[in-house]
Amino acid sequence: MLDGLVLFGRALAGFADPLTLLIIAGACLIGIVIGALPGLTATMGVALLTTLTLKMPSNIALIVLVCSYVGAIYGGSRSAILLNIPGTPANAAACLDGHALAQQGLAGRAIGISTTGSVMGTLIGMFFLAVATPWLGEVALKFGAYEFFWLALFGVIISGNLTGSDPLKGWLAGFVGLFVACVGQDPIHAYERFAFDNRDLAGGFQLIPALVGAFGFAEVLTVLAARTPKPVIRGFDTPLPRIGDVLRHWRTILRSGVIGTFIGVVPGVGEDVASWSSYAAARRASREPEKYGKGSVEGLMAAETGDNACVPGAIIPVLALAVPGSAPAAVLMAAMIIHGVQPGPLIMVNNPQFVFDVVAMMLYATIGILVFGLALVKPLLKVLQVPREIIMPIVFVLCVIGSYAISQRLFDVWTMLGFGVAGYVLRRYEYPMAPFVLGIVLGDLLDKNLRRGLVLSDGDLTPFFTRPISATLAAICLATMLANFTFVRRAARAAFAALTPWRKAA
Amino acid sequence: MSEPGPTPRADLFWALAWIAVGAAMFAGGFTMDRLERQHINPYTAPGLVPALLGIGIAVLGAILLVRSVRRGALAAADGGRAAADGGRLALALGLCLAYAGGLVGRTLFGWHVPFWLATALFDFASIVAFEWRDRRARGELGRGIAVAAACALGTAAGVTLVFQEVFLVRLP
Repeated sequence: MLDGLVLFGRALAGFADPLTLLIIAGACLIGIVIGALPGLTATMGVALLTTLTLKMPSNIALIVLVCSYVGAIYGGSRSAILLNIPGTPANAAACLDGHALAQQGLAGRAIGISTTGSVMGTLIGMFFLAVATPWLGEVALKFGAYEFFWLALFGVIISGNLTGSDPLKGWLAGFVGLFVACVGQDPIHAYERFAFDNRDLAGGFQLIPALVGAFGFAEVLTVLAARTPKPVIRGFDTPLPRIGDVLRHWRTILRSGVIGTFIGVVPGVGEDVASWSSYAAARRASREPEKYGKGSVEGLMAAETGDNACVPGAIIPVLALAVPGSAPAAVLMAAMIIHGVQPGPLIMVNNPQFVFDVVAMMLYATIGILVFGLALVKPLLKVLQVPREIIMPIVFVLCVIGSYAISQRLFDVWTMLGFGVAGYVLRRYEYPMAPFVLGIVLGDLLDKNLRRGLVLSDGDLTPFFTRPISATLAAICLATMLANFTFVRRAARAAFAALTPWRKAA
Repeated sequence: MSEPGPTPRADLFWALAWIAVGAAMFAGGFTMDRLERQHINPYTAPGLVPALLGIGIAVLGAILLVRSVRRGALAAADGGRAAADGGRLALALGLCLAYAGGLVGRTLFGWHVPFWLATALFDFASIVAFEWRDRRARGELGRGIAVAAACALGTAAGVTLVFQEVFLVRLP
């Protein structure tokens, strides 16, 4: 505990020079702007900024990415409140009550509430990040090949189940992502798979160009293809938060913070599910559920606390297991690897300072969103009014040059284009992108550990199902998939009723 | 307003495609070199995981197929999806592909197109094309072209300067 505090203090002091603080401020502001502009998501922002920060020292580059990630998830609430368009998918729940408050002339109060909720959510998540990462890292040291195989599959299945409207399509997207990771040299024998004698394909698809395509180019196409009317923003009251709102809703804040963090830890699920889950839990526990959707302060607070708490939550498994908790966290993980940080179970052994560096980055990001969120209300309104037709071509230029800059080869630009078009088509037919991305990230882990596990057990499959953690993960995977089939649910209900006859009698 | 979801018939076509993709992946993995000459452990054969993933995708595709048929994919009347934004999508796709695939890093008529020029041309053409209708309706075409030119030159200069001079990237 004391060691952690010392490492945290050292991290805080390490970032406290004027130049770094200026960079942090810039990164928070860029993140808020990215989040506030509908069409620019947190994943896209972090992916583009990864390419822009390649030449920076690793800690500075990563603080830029963490601050922009936190900023984007917070910034998305701005357009949700003022335009009824969520800036990022994570802010969809904020539209319900945030925009209703704005329509009542209380947009300023709604901005204050979303800022308070986001700040509190990030702080709660940050606390768990500091406490749970070392603990989870220690547990993960006991993981073997069998557990890592199931963990990778678990991430893809849970993400597929929860992130889209159709779990079947989510799993398909996840499996395709796992396959994409198989292209290129295999991780055990360096045998070229599906390379078709192409030198570039033999190296496999790089993650960042693939993500820039799937989230950036696909989004550019989506936004440019749709005609968007010029946003109309009405005048509003002061955005300064009221202390009474925090004190009155402390239970909601705490509950949403815990839910958001927990959902963040679940691989590949992400901020939108965290936001909706926190919102639903707050509504169930509320004394005034009828106000939800009509301008409930509590509802907005819950949604915004939940999604921002998810950000540090999603980084916990990145650091402890090298398994991302959300799509932007997957990009962040790739950026960590590019910058020479190897996340995973050994991080607390080899590089414990880095874990607390990330906690300190979260704190600076929280201060950044608090200051900019409240101080720059009017300039942010101007940004919201810039036509998408001007922003999106510029974003596409960044997608192209960002993909190219990583390895300075045109193949990565083609990768970005290919994944962008595929991402656009898949999304149009309701195939979610988060499990696809998670599949690409976790493909290597699944591939290596399945084959290692089989070698260790000499082809015997039983250790995959009999070791305690493996058995638990396997059971969750199976139950998650089967629960989506009506005949299984019906059979389970019938079996439950047969086993508990007293419930029927009661 | 949210778009209507894909029709059962669209899902049926996707299901058939997934089954084909899964079968191809399985065949690719199954017939992949098992490196027997190198005496590797057969459980580490490189084609194992792609083949298993192929089976997984084909099975999920088959479930999607059954579901789409149950939802009426084979019924005569299937309205299909309206492609209201088809023109704008084609324009966006055309401009983006022409820029990234046809201009960036290319030599046209013996002349290497500089990155800044390709970027400026793409930005200018995109902004003018997508704003054309609204600007014309408001009688602001001249202003729209001026704004597009300023944005295009600013982006080209900014991106070139940052990536070439600050990040030391050799631009394509």
